[in-house]
Amino acid sequence: MSKPSVLIVGSGAGGSAVAWRLARAGHPVEILERGRSLFPGLVEGEERFRTRFGNDEVKAGRYFENQDPLLEPRTSRTQDEANQGVERSFVGDVNDLPATVGGGTVHWDAKVPRFWRQDFKGRSLYGPVQGANVADWPLTYDDLAPHYDAVERRLGVQGDRRRMPAHTLHQAPRRHQFVMPPNPPSHAGTLMAEGAESLGYEPYPFPMAVNSRHHHGRPRCNSCGFCSGFGCPIQARGGALSFLAPAIAAGARVHERCFVHKIGVSRDGRRATSVAYVDRHGRRRRAKADIVVVAASAIETARLLLMSRHHTHPAGIGNHSHQLGRNLMFHYFTLGVALFEPDIHAWIAPSTTFTMDDFVGPDTKAAPAGLPYLKGGICEVGAGVTLLQEADIYAALPNSFGVEHKSLMKDVSLRSHLGAIQLVGEDMPQLANRVDLDPAIRDFHGFPVPRITHGQHQFELAASAYYGPKLAEVCQAAPGSISSAVGVIPLVPGAPASDIEGPNSTAHIMGTARMGHDPRTSVCDGHGQVHGLENLFLADGSVFVSSGGFNPTLTIMALALRTADRIAGRRR
Amino acid sequence: MGKELSRRQFVAASGSLGLLALLPGERVNALMLATPKRGHPGRFLSAHQLETLRALCARLVPGPPDDPDPGATEARAADAIDLLLGAFRVHPPLIHAGGPFSSRSGGRRDDFKRFVRLDRQAELGWRIRLEGSRGKREREFAGPVRGLQAVYREGLRHLDERAQAVDGQDFAKLLPPLQDAILSDQGDDSVQELVGVAFANTLDAVYGPPEYGGNHKLVGWRYTDWPGDTQPRGFHGAEITGPGNGKPLSAATAASLSRFLPGLAVRPVANDAHWRPRGGLQTG
Repeated sequence: MSKPSVLIVGSGAGGSAVAWRLARAGHPVEILERGRSLFPGLVEGEERFRTRFGNDEVKAGRYFENQDPLLEPRTSRTQDEANQGVERSFVGDVNDLPATVGGGTVHWDAKVPRFWRQDFKGRSLYGPVQGANVADWPLTYDDLAPHYDAVERRLGVQGDRRRMPAHTLHQAPRRHQFVMPPNPPSHAGTLMAEGAESLGYEPYPFPMAVNSRHHHGRPRCNSCGFCSGFGCPIQARGGALSFLAPAIAAGARVHERCFVHKIGVSRDGRRATSVAYVDRHGRRRRAKADIVVVAASAIETARLLLMSRHHTHPAGIGNHSHQLGRNLMFHYFTLGVALFEPDIHAWIAPSTTFTMDDFVGPDTKAAPAGLPYLKGGICEVGAGVTLLQEADIYAALPNSFGVEHKSLMKDVSLRSHLGAIQLVGEDMPQLANRVDLDPAIRDFHGFPVPRITHGQHQFELAASAYYGPKLAEVCQAAPGSISSAVGVIPLVPGAPASDIEGPNSTAHIMGTARMGHDPRTSVCDGHGQVHGLENLFLADGSVFVSSGGFNPTLTIMALALRTADRIAGRRR
Repeated sequence: MGKELSRRQFVAASGSLGLLALLPGERVNALMLATPKRGHPGRFLSAHQLETLRALCARLVPGPPDDPDPGATEARAADAIDLLLGAFRVHPPLIHAGGPFSSRSGGRRDDFKRFVRLDRQAELGWRIRLEGSRGKREREFAGPVRGLQAVYREGLRHLDERAQAVDGQDFAKLLPPLQDAILSDQGDDSVQELVGVAFANTLDAVYGPPEYGGNHKLVGWRYTDWPGDTQPRGFHGAEITGPGNGKPLSAATAASLSRFLPGLAVRPVANDAHWRPRGGLQTG
């Protein structure tokens, strides 16, 4: 008996992982991707496919891989604005990620920490938080651990278990050493790690999906410095393509520029029967499959399910709980900055080479009134800026053009002397933080665009204010540091948080279709299967119940493999 | 030039798709990248508009005599901006340079020169961005969009109007301090819109890869001591793990840099000001 056919919406981290597992298990797999491929030969199945990415800051700013907000805008507003009846206060680039074959991982930072045990049981362990929708995940760290192992092997994750703190290995135990040793550490990272150690913290090499040695036909990283936000010109960085290329070799097919706008369901609403999409020529098409997996990223997945109304699902597919689109979470980034007297060239590295997780929390003693605890997140230690980034930073001030700007560029002030620590702050799930369909704005296909409503909980603001000065202390303690500063939310006093480090600027997007045991309070179960539909699955950040304080993609991929295992056991 | 097509002949005829089809892509690029002489029209801008833009760019990133090192003029920044505005006059349009390597750091050939083709969707986005929505139904699904071409045309005209009011001359003829005074007028939204877009584009042209038509002779990378694109060579050993050779940062400079901290934040780009850079420190 042939295996059920699988149609996957999206070729990013989650979709590619599902495709890999299922294509190799013998399922016919078709992937509909709204973007194009920037890797000649990849979708054609060539073993040594190429890349069009280069060390090119101009191209990175010209929507080469990112979705073009002029074609596919998103809108946003704050919770306060929503309460006042404001339909939207912003139209444009809201959390835009690469919309291309391979999704966000074509230019990701490739930092792949695991979530901690406590992240999956936040409600049981630490209780509710007023105004937030805290819940346990319907799975445990131990359920996910073998999938973490599998993803790390496929990606080729570097790191060093021996240098990880005991508290990290207690919260995120690992049976094996990493696939490969760490990269050469950046000089800036080494100095900032020394500063952290002098204060009693425990920095260690950041686990990342970057080759420190040859792996699966890809070369080792040579620390060119065009990493986070840039496609890797030598493909030393792992990502969705680490799964997608072998999936294609196993028979999976990727269809570029196919925008799925509706999931069709059976008359009784219990089965997904087809997807409707617009192809690269603008033609309206329909595709059928035995199983449908939506992996379009948290915002687009919610949008697709909301657009897929049916008389049996009047509020959108899988939305009998009215949780669909809600509990949208972003990581807020709190920034510590040090200026060093010597030339530390922090940009020469695969972004940051060190991390520390001493500020993950929870911290019950520091919590202000009204909050049971504070949590921060993992830190990216030793970040720097490249040439055009530096030029743009100086240019952000009014009347900054002219001789002064040029002098700053000649002095290589920030490029050579700035080192940063960024805290990946946990964001509380809130019902009012949500994706819905904008009532008026349409994309170039004519479909309603996603509208993001977001407001920061006191939890994030208090945590940022608490941990921010600790970041500054680390900066001050770093050898050679002569000045330090910290940027807490809001980074610019008086500016609305949404303008600075809020929903528009973070690339970590989670929630909107949370998983749970109870169909009354969640959209899908612990395997990503949408409640009430026997053959519709979700495999991206939408299923997250909490955001943790960790870069989310490794967890997205591990969950996707778990979902794929559930599907692989099925018969037609 | 003999039988070779000159840049001037090329520009005059480049409205003809037939001509472009006859020429190899790299030859087209070479002709497009050849800098028009003073007093001649650009690929998109008129001769006068191009002169005004050159004067503007020269104030944004000044060269001699304001600063001893080459500036926007020497980098040919205005010509690179003109090239972007007229990107669709060649195929593939000069918007996304190719990859993965130039020939500057060990690559066997300059892949950057082989610009990436836009597909139907990407072309629509860039036509809207450059040409504006122009009342076309297929471009106004989310409302009208002003294109970069209009922003520059109208902005450059406004600069002349301001200059005429000050000194009875066009902007390009004003003395630099008077030009700076106009460009610094925070009360004039039209000026600030032009300065905003032109500054961002000038920085791209001075400090970006030369294949986009600017950074002539790599001047923007030389005086900043920037290695540019280093692939496939990359960095090795102590280049990564040890200190660099740059001069030390003084405490006074460090103190003065604190005012740029807000610039580390990513700035969301709204569609009604789509030309602004996002800026900020990469987070991921």
